[in-house]
Amino acid sequence: MNGSRDAAGVRPDRMMRGIDAVVAVSARLAQRSVRRRPAVAAVHRDLALVVTEVRDEAPEVVGLRLARGSGGPLPPWHPGAHLDVVLPSGRVRQYSLCGDPADRTAYRIAVRRLADGAGGSMEVHALRPGTPVVVRGPRTAFPLVSAPAYLFLAGGIGITPILPMVRAAAARGADWRLVHTGRDRASLPLSPGATDLDPTRVWLRPDDENGGPPAAADLLAGLPGGAAVYCCGPPPMIDAVRRAVPAGHAFHAERFSPPPVLGGRPFTLELARRGRVVEVPADGSALDAVRAVAPDVAFSCRQGFCGTCHVRVLEGEPADGHSAPGKMALCVARAAGDRVVLDL
Amino acid sequence: MRSAEPAGSRIGPEPERVALHARDVQFDWSGLPVHWIPGEPFATHVLDVLHLLLPEGERWFVRLFSEALPLIRDPRLAEDVRGFIGQEAMHAASHQGVLDHFAARGLDTSPYVDQVEWMFRRALDDRGLTGRRAQEWLVERIALTAAVEHITAYLGQWVLDARALDTAGVHPVMLDLLRWHGAEEVEHRAVAHDLFAHLDGRYLRRARAMLPAAPILFGLWVRGVRFLLAHDPVPAKPRLRDWARAARRGLTPGIVGLTRAVLTYLRPGYHPSQYGSTSTAVAYLATSPAARAAEARSAG
Repeated sequence: MNGSRDAAGVRPDRMMRGIDAVVAVSARLAQRSVRRRPAVAAVHRDLALVVTEVRDEAPEVVGLRLARGSGGPLPPWHPGAHLDVVLPSGRVRQYSLCGDPADRTAYRIAVRRLADGAGGSMEVHALRPGTPVVVRGPRTAFPLVSAPAYLFLAGGIGITPILPMVRAAAARGADWRLVHTGRDRASLPLSPGATDLDPTRVWLRPDDENGGPPAAADLLAGLPGGAAVYCCGPPPMIDAVRRAVPAGHAFHAERFSPPPVLGGRPFTLELARRGRVVEVPADGSALDAVRAVAPDVAFSCRQGFCGTCHVRVLEGEPADGHSAPGKMALCVARAAGDRVVLDL
Repeated sequence: MRSAEPAGSRIGPEPERVALHARDVQFDWSGLPVHWIPGEPFATHVLDVLHLLLPEGERWFVRLFSEALPLIRDPRLAEDVRGFIGQEAMHAASHQGVLDHFAARGLDTSPYVDQVEWMFRRALDDRGLTGRRAQEWLVERIALTAAVEHITAYLGQWVLDARALDTAGVHPVMLDLLRWHGAEEVEHRAVAHDLFAHLDGRYLRRARAMLPAAPILFGLWVRGVRFLLAHDPVPAKPRLRDWARAARRGLTPGIVGLTRAVLTYLRPGYHPSQYGSTSTAVAYLATSPAARAAEARSAG
């Protein structure tokens, strides 16, 4: 990447001097615009909702209905959309919408209890009707688009974004099939929503009745020509299917938030320009620690590769595979020692 | 407080706005022929201008939008802007890869690239302004970006739909780069417009930005084609009829479509979601070899 060359030694030619003159006019017009430019109005995106129904969808799986206290209409969504749900502890978790997009009065989510998770699912399972919750979104990170045919693959609770897709495909009269996998029949929640549409298009595949988990090739067997594959489930399943889908077939999967920091060591970051010192905890990223004191710091991919959050290092040594020499990728890098001083 | 939905939003069967994220794409240029549209030097060079012009321009977008982040008072827009920044950073890096390949092949592009760099780093930099005046110049440059992004979205949709490129024997890695880039341009086509609408939004200010943006972009393009044709193994000069012929065959965008696209931008009720198809972009990204490999890399 060549981002560091200096334009100082370059003499602008005639065309560039002409462009500079035009740009100077724009810059002058900008200064005239200042007088009547309206103030930037804050836009509030938080939706204050109430849990209006709690039901057991399957063992360990709870289904919630969320609506406005007034019963008024909610922002529209498309199959594959998810919500950010702010839990009572302040944790934010993302859950796919599994209801009917035509029902504008409520959002439905379904959550499996993960006893060994970070605690978000336990909190959801403790919610009772009448509890207020704040949600943000909906956001479409797993869009359903038209295709000649569809193969939907769901692993366990991964059925949640898939179910509205199946309904939409069926409503359009598309050629679709669904394979729902899980450890046993009890871990195949919500599938009646699909079998009720057309049982001949649904294959419920519990591992315990089929001699273990499926190979990706089993899931893709008989893939119709031109079919798009939509997959949601545990990451190893998505990864295996992704590798097995033949070239030329569209493969769609839900994007995951960056993986949690595991086995990290705490360290200290000094932000030289701001004169601030922040502590990066063992289980948190440098970016999150910096954002706590500098919320406007630029970042994007959160995986190290895009370069947006790479900041010049003044002292200390960052440790990771993404930082260019003399820079630190805030989103993924940690300190080799105890302290790094940044030009920030 | 403003309405939560932008003026142009509709509830169609498929989403027009999707969550934006950068993709960790990589391309291997080792097998790239000089004329990667076989037998079509003119069309090849028209599209090769992208590699000379865009990296500096996209890095400029990244700096500009990073500077604008503190002004944003809408969390959803801030999220879109962050996605936009990462995508543009990857576009810059990917076109830079082709430029580096040109250099390795012995084509010195610095006479062109240095001038473009001067434009983005001097003429279009902060111009020594500070405080409120610097902020107003930032908003003006976002209006310029929105105008350019309307054209890049048009070009992105064009390359996704250009069936002639499928039958012309185009080098598959280059076609994938162009369509991956085009698809992301279509995916994020509303971001610069929505950012301008959030910070100012007045029609005249939006429309007047197209007046310098379109001619400058066109002028730089012509200059790039002239440069590349002059350095072709068989040097030549660009002629209008070469463009007319390439456009007629569907290998480059045409003058009529481009002019119409520019004029569209001047409509008072314009919103980027009214043009282009997010579904086409999403469908391409789901089959793109580079995007598929990038997702596998992220997951792995």
